[in-house]
Amino acid sequence: MHLKYESQLREPLVYGNKTYAQVTEDIVRPIEAKPSRLWYIGFFIAVTLLMFGAYSVYREVTYGIGQWNLNKTIGWGWDITNFVWWVGIGHAGTLISAVLLLFRQGWRTGVNRAAEAMTIFAVMCAGQFPIFHMGRVWMAFFVMPYPNSRGPLWVNFNSPLLWDVFAISTYFTVSLLFWYSGLIPDFATVRDRAFTKLRKKLYGIASFGWTGSTKHWQRHESLSLVLAGLSTPLVLSVHTIVSFDFATSVIPGWHTTIFPPYFVAGAIFSGFAMVQSLLIIVRKVFGLEDYITIGHIDLMNKVIVLTGSIVGIAYLTELFMGWYSQNKYEGYTFWYSRAYLFSPYGWSYWGMMACNVLSPQIFWSRKMRRNVFVTFFMSIIVNIGMWFERFVIIVTSLYRDYLPSSWSVYYSPTIWEIGFYVGTFGLFFTCFFLFAKYFPVIAVAEIKYVLKRSGESFKPGMEKIEAQELESFVHDQAHAH
Amino acid sequence: MAQKKFVVGCFDDEAVLFPAVKQVRAAGYKIKDVYTPFAVHGLDHALGMRETSLHTAGFIYGITGTTTAISCISWIFTKDWPLNIGGKPHFALPAWIPIIFELTVLFAAVGMVLTFCYLCQLAPGVKKHRFHNRATDDLFVMVIECSDKTNTDDLKALLSSNGALETDVQIAEDGWWFGTYDNDNDNLYNNKQLA
Amino acid sequence: MASIKEQFEIPGKLKTWSYALIGVGAVALLYGMFTKGFSTDEHEQVHFWGTLMYNTIFWTLICNASMFFLCFNTMAQAAWMQSFRRIAEAISTLVPVFGAITFAVLIYVVVSDKHHIYHWLDAEAVAKDPILKGKSGFLNPTFFIIWTTLAIVLWSYFGYRMRQLSNEADVAPMDNETAKAFNIKSMVRSGFFLVWFGLTVASTIPWLWLMSIDAHWYSTMYSWYTFASSFVAGMSLLAVWLIYMKNKGYMELSNSEHLHDLAKYMFAFSIFWTYLWFSQYMLIWYANIPEEVVYFKHRVQGPYKPIFFLNLIINFLAPLIILMKRSAKRNFTLVAFMAVLIMFGHWIDFYQMVMGSLMKEHVSLGWLDFGVLSFFVGVMILMVARALASKPLIAKYHPFLKESVIHHT
Repeated sequence: MHLKYESQLREPLVYGNKTYAQVTEDIVRPIEAKPSRLWYIGFFIAVTLLMFGAYSVYREVTYGIGQWNLNKTIGWGWDITNFVWWVGIGHAGTLISAVLLLFRQGWRTGVNRAAEAMTIFAVMCAGQFPIFHMGRVWMAFFVMPYPNSRGPLWVNFNSPLLWDVFAISTYFTVSLLFWYSGLIPDFATVRDRAFTKLRKKLYGIASFGWTGSTKHWQRHESLSLVLAGLSTPLVLSVHTIVSFDFATSVIPGWHTTIFPPYFVAGAIFSGFAMVQSLLIIVRKVFGLEDYITIGHIDLMNKVIVLTGSIVGIAYLTELFMGWYSQNKYEGYTFWYSRAYLFSPYGWSYWGMMACNVLSPQIFWSRKMRRNVFVTFFMSIIVNIGMWFERFVIIVTSLYRDYLPSSWSVYYSPTIWEIGFYVGTFGLFFTCFFLFAKYFPVIAVAEIKYVLKRSGESFKPGMEKIEAQELESFVHDQAHAH
Repeated sequence: MAQKKFVVGCFDDEAVLFPAVKQVRAAGYKIKDVYTPFAVHGLDHALGMRETSLHTAGFIYGITGTTTAISCISWIFTKDWPLNIGGKPHFALPAWIPIIFELTVLFAAVGMVLTFCYLCQLAPGVKKHRFHNRATDDLFVMVIECSDKTNTDDLKALLSSNGALETDVQIAEDGWWFGTYDNDNDNLYNNKQLA
Repeated sequence: MASIKEQFEIPGKLKTWSYALIGVGAVALLYGMFTKGFSTDEHEQVHFWGTLMYNTIFWTLICNASMFFLCFNTMAQAAWMQSFRRIAEAISTLVPVFGAITFAVLIYVVVSDKHHIYHWLDAEAVAKDPILKGKSGFLNPTFFIIWTTLAIVLWSYFGYRMRQLSNEADVAPMDNETAKAFNIKSMVRSGFFLVWFGLTVASTIPWLWLMSIDAHWYSTMYSWYTFASSFVAGMSLLAVWLIYMKNKGYMELSNSEHLHDLAKYMFAFSIFWTYLWFSQYMLIWYANIPEEVVYFKHRVQGPYKPIFFLNLIINFLAPLIILMKRSAKRNFTLVAFMAVLIMFGHWIDFYQMVMGSLMKEHVSLGWLDFGVLSFFVGVMILMVARALASKPLIAKYHPFLKESVIHHT
């Protein structure tokens, strides 16, 4: 057994005087209790939005893409902007789970479950856009790689759009597996304390017959580690491939080699912002402040300022290269269509800069990082900024083609385009509300794992170790094994 | 499926559990398993379990995915239906890397999860005997299978003297079967005050 | 163990080796300088100065990677590397040394108007070339000299400040308040380094020093790619030193757990490097725009083809296959071998980045390259050993040291 010790400098990850049983009680209780009035109101609003989205999609499917304001040369507009935005948000969950697991960051335990759930719902939302953008959505199965009945013609494996199909579906599958394999032991916990028949039955089925055997835990650990190891490059690959949709082309503003890592950094950035928005609400509504602490929020804000700055370097790199390349078209796109405030879409570029690069810099201040209201506000700002980023990339590169004769008029979305976007919010929050009600929103087993090392009430017991001379400490440790 | 006899000892602290495991094993008993609410690091070694080779299986699945992707795409694009796409060679390997990578990950992940479920007999609808309902809450439940010669009283005494909070003898099914949990009456909190 | 060896005594053999390497290197360097560097033949000049450039830039950047490693770990409040932080500090003391050499070489190249290396130095050609003329706001000797000076001086200075602060952990046990203040101070100081690092290594410096060799060509990825290359080599250098010190009986507090994590860095960042390599290559290959593919044309299809593939085999395939297994990452011999291989691989990568642009017709890899390399390796060994001997090997009272001692992966 390893020594349960950590430096006194570290903030507790679990506050309060907690035992293992208390952890179970705190986290599982909301599942067993009746949902609050707030939950019903939120759920109702989410479903309403979903219905509106469904109707918007119905219009689009019935009457065609003409229901949207896409036109030459803006063939991609809100739909693909929203697609990339949602996919980006869908990155933080797996990142928190996988990368932070590999880096042994104990604080991931408080937030990983909800973040993973968010990932899955965000990817579900993202998937809607390219599918319905096809127009004839009943033909969507054409993307499947099989020798189809229209002659032995295959899908184009050289096309980034097909890579996307593979990337997003793989990402969705693997995230789901990763999430669910973590949920199995927690479902067993819910099952074993359930007192209604229905709950016993359903959580019994969901827990796959988990018992907590040591051998099973050993395999479970191995599985989690390997899935984390696989997910890490997978997360990178997904947004990389999304960036390839743009960067493999020869359109000024799209064809730039920094796109892959820069998209990934942006995705992590927006994903963490979304996690912040959701968790700040969840911890309040379910009274989980002991588990999702200010320390967690502080750390996530650090990630936000880091990724925001990386994204900032990438923006400036692109802008610089727009000039440095001395390529007229690149220069025009970057310095006129984007960076010139009074060009038709200049506002969106500066909106993006303000939201993504400048405003997160306030998180250099510890006081700001630990302020819940500021964090919540900033998380919304960042997500608006990241939406602008995709809008900037897509629309400002498209609206003025090489020839002035193919310059399009000002693009603004129709109500059904907006409705579709709003509808995905409905889908996202409907799923999230259901998740928050019926699933353990915090990984119970993992909190128990870090409890005795990082729990507030266990900290005083470590003072003796803290004061110990290094030599004798090393000596003790050498004999402990 | 066979009914077997087990001696069960429950502990509430890992720090007590580890020495107990050592003592019980030293006394010559074979511990069937310890059921814990979370992954207790080092317990598998203390029980003398060998390392799992699940990751090796994952590696093999991954390689399978890589091979599948490379062979399928190259066959399709060089033999079955070669197309000129953007003037690129038919064998356009750089353009296939993304899909090759995705399939590698997909095969490895799906294969591993299925293998994991198979090895641990986990599936929707599977049911197993639970020695103690709080094993998924806050107890570490040590289970020792009895042979004909086992003196259950001695064993219980040994467990108690090593810090077990409660001990008992159970006759239970050793394997798994299909079933649901809704008819179980062994309520978890019958021996614990509910707030 | 009775006590922890805190004082490193430089073994005589290490000294002998480093002097021998420096000797061999100096001979090659001087011979090269007089036969090639000061030759009237421009081709020879380019060969010599180019070789010196990629070596010195490579070594400066990989030593700087150690300080980057320290700083971001400090920022992340990581504990695991505290048991061998003094090795990283020792390596980073080379930044001013190699930085000075880099500075001398680059300034010489710019001031003596070596426009066969930097085409943008040729005033006549620039006047006639609208693209280069347009770039002259960035590619001009004045800015080059100012920015180079600033970069090197500030890396050295911020690194020095970090090392100074680290000395405070040698003095006396810290109570909670002192430790807190120390921790915050460390984070502030590493913040300065990281921001400057982002503005230089992750953006401007590789454009200026390396990318501008192909004065017309550009790639937005270039700096991040260079960073990844130097960082993974830097981690390997750190691993080599850690293993050497372990072998000599020092660094008792670091064990296979720490090695495991360091090897994970080598593994993960080899893949990360490949990822950036692939992204840059594939996008240029896919779009097939003449002004961009010109960079890869002779590298993939010309004389540099073997180097091009060697680069991928050493820096991607080898780490991927060999370091994947957990037991490999915990094996001191194997990790030492891989670390040397990876450093060599990224040295080759820098070779092709510079020489592949300067001498497109043939691969000149030969005595000069290995001679100069030997000089730098010799200097590196000697200086790192001295730096290690100059202060305790363990930051004894560092607030995170005990966590590092019980670190397990």
